[in-house]
Amino acid sequence: MITRAMLLLLLAVTLSALPAAAQPGVSDTEIVIGGSNSFSGPLAYTGEQITKFGVDLYLRVVNDAGGIHGRKIRTVYYDDGYRPQNAVANTKKLVEQDRVFAIIIPQGSPPVVATLEYLEENKVPLLFPYQSSPVTRARRYVFQGMTLSDRSSKMMIDYLAGQRKYKKFAVLYQDDEYGKSFLTAFEKDLGRFGLKLVAAESVKREVTDVSAQIAKLQAAKPEVTFLVLVPGPAAQALRERQKIGWTDTLMVSTGPLTDERYLALATDAAEGVEGLSLWPDPVISDLPGVRLYREHMQRYFPKNEPNRYSLAGYFAGMLFVEGAKRAGRNLTRESLIAALESVKGFESGILPPLTIGPDHETQKQGLWVRVEKGRFKPLTDWLKSE
Amino acid sequence: MRGAAIATGAVVVLGWPWAAPRYFVFLASLIVVNSIVAIGLNLLSGYTNQLSFGHAGFLAIGAYTAAILAIRASWLPLPATLLAAGLGTAAVGLALGVPCLRLEGLYLAMATLAFGFVVVEAILNLDWLTRGNDGLHVPPGHLGPWALATDTARYYLVVVVGALLVAAARNITRTRTGRALLAVRESEIAAQASGVHLAAYKTLAFVVSAFYTGVAGGLFALVVGFLSPDSFDVFLSVDFVAMIIVGGLGSIFGSVVGAAVITTLNDSLAGFQNYRPLIFGAILIASMLFMPGGIASALRRLPLLASQTPGSASRTPGSAPRTPGSAPRTPGSAPRTPGSAPRTPRQGDDR
Repeated sequence: MITRAMLLLLLAVTLSALPAAAQPGVSDTEIVIGGSNSFSGPLAYTGEQITKFGVDLYLRVVNDAGGIHGRKIRTVYYDDGYRPQNAVANTKKLVEQDRVFAIIIPQGSPPVVATLEYLEENKVPLLFPYQSSPVTRARRYVFQGMTLSDRSSKMMIDYLAGQRKYKKFAVLYQDDEYGKSFLTAFEKDLGRFGLKLVAAESVKREVTDVSAQIAKLQAAKPEVTFLVLVPGPAAQALRERQKIGWTDTLMVSTGPLTDERYLALATDAAEGVEGLSLWPDPVISDLPGVRLYREHMQRYFPKNEPNRYSLAGYFAGMLFVEGAKRAGRNLTRESLIAALESVKGFESGILPPLTIGPDHETQKQGLWVRVEKGRFKPLTDWLKSE
Repeated sequence: MRGAAIATGAVVVLGWPWAAPRYFVFLASLIVVNSIVAIGLNLLSGYTNQLSFGHAGFLAIGAYTAAILAIRASWLPLPATLLAAGLGTAAVGLALGVPCLRLEGLYLAMATLAFGFVVVEAILNLDWLTRGNDGLHVPPGHLGPWALATDTARYYLVVVVGALLVAAARNITRTRTGRALLAVRESEIAAQASGVHLAAYKTLAFVVSAFYTGVAGGLFALVVGFLSPDSFDVFLSVDFVAMIIVGGLGSIFGSVVGAAVITTLNDSLAGFQNYRPLIFGAILIASMLFMPGGIASALRRLPLLASQTPGSASRTPGSAPRTPGSAPRTPGSAPRTPGSAPRTPRQGDDR
């Protein structure tokens, strides 16, 4: 018994003493990237779409065409079920056991924030986390994915208060980092126009009954009511408004909320709702990149409907490949960061020409949409937040 | 022989960070933290037959207490922080245990389940203190001049605290208190008739269980480094119950084994992504069907191991492994029939 334990110990020592590869996750024939994501729990659908049907979709296209500088890309994903401690464990495993080159598109503020310091300490690039809170901003090893909330707010207020001359705004927001980061940004941006919020009501996460908040907001008589929520409660808010016949306010959804799932939940109560969309319509847009995305989806995953989550993952895959191509055959974590920083006027055919630069923000725009017959109809060209 | 086994175990545990890859040091820390929770839960459920589905709530209270102390009272030495986490949680355990005296079985399970939700809600609503959904960064602890900045340092802290708590649990279960707790489990009426103060011992079980879980929570905060209410959902409580059922109810050794198995399983199944809950559930059902007394009792039945295990010779055949008919019973079901092998702590349960 003792000898067996000692043998095991000896084996472990020998294994751990083997020389490590010069650059983790990069061999002559392969690049390994990965991430912790939600495959169970509240955001399981999103998690599966952005990774397996998004990032992997684009990488399959690239791999089938020969890879990047002769290397195929392989992805490893672990399920964290939206629990921060599992995200920490998964991320450590990815970095230390699977030796991934970079972390790609992990989802949700709590799981992502829980891993930030660890990744920075170990100098592992964190690429395009799928969350909108500015907590990930200004970090050397992080490249933002989704348009951050303060930029969304600026575009929304500039458009509504500047161009459309609305004066009375109210907010229904989720009581967490996502909601509060929008709330503070709205207050600041309205201040530039000499305006104030006439009402702000909060909704606890996982709560679906919002009737009390809707009644209070109606009493404040706002011209515009922002919804900073997740699909379930947001759809509930729209139905509640329909029920009490509150028609003299414009309901506006924020970037992370403006998606097809929220429309499906709200059905006809969503008619006439406006919002800031971070993506072109994945199903009907004529943009060349979106058409190509649909073709690829049809080729590799014919049973999976195009949706903006997988489109976001597809775009993340595209950006990673662009960075890795620019970094050249001698791919290191530092050369990837330098390469991504050097991206200028990159044509994705999905979003407007992209220049990343030293602020590491890959998305800074959105477009204004209105719901007509159950789909988002664009009202503007891309709005800018700079 | 027994001394040799313990020595080997100690060498493996202490040498682990030098032999294993870094990730497995972190994983081992998590296993020890979960073991402490499992021991705490086992003292309540396995020994006293009070099923709790709210231990994630206790863990959260301990974790947040330790984290907030570490942030706002950073001069406090780490052992004091952990002790405060344990005592604070024990106080909550007392407050929950007293009203729960009137409940048993499913009703107790419901009450503890609700407790878990209440704790998460409380964390969300005390956001000036806990930062609500945004989560809390836990600074690395200091032990005298050493900063616990590496996985290895934290591992040793967790192992030392874990060893102390295992020793304490063995002492509790082997003394008059442990026998009283077991008597309560077997039959409350009979225990009362033999002079066991029911209310006192059932409350004590709650308090001790909460203390263990609170200390584990403090360690959890240090090991993971980030807390958010999302960490402590009801499924975590279910995981803890799964640990003691898989490991073996009423067994300290079983608690540790169960914690190791469930933690490792959870970790290795993360790669199966959306199939994870399915596979996890199937393994749980299978182990309950084929190892009804948990791993601890299944190991004892192995002839090879039984001959090596000290003290097994003195065990009368048939006393330790539960008979299939009585075994899969979870605490909270009807009182045991006399034929179903009533157990005493002397039967190697606490090994």
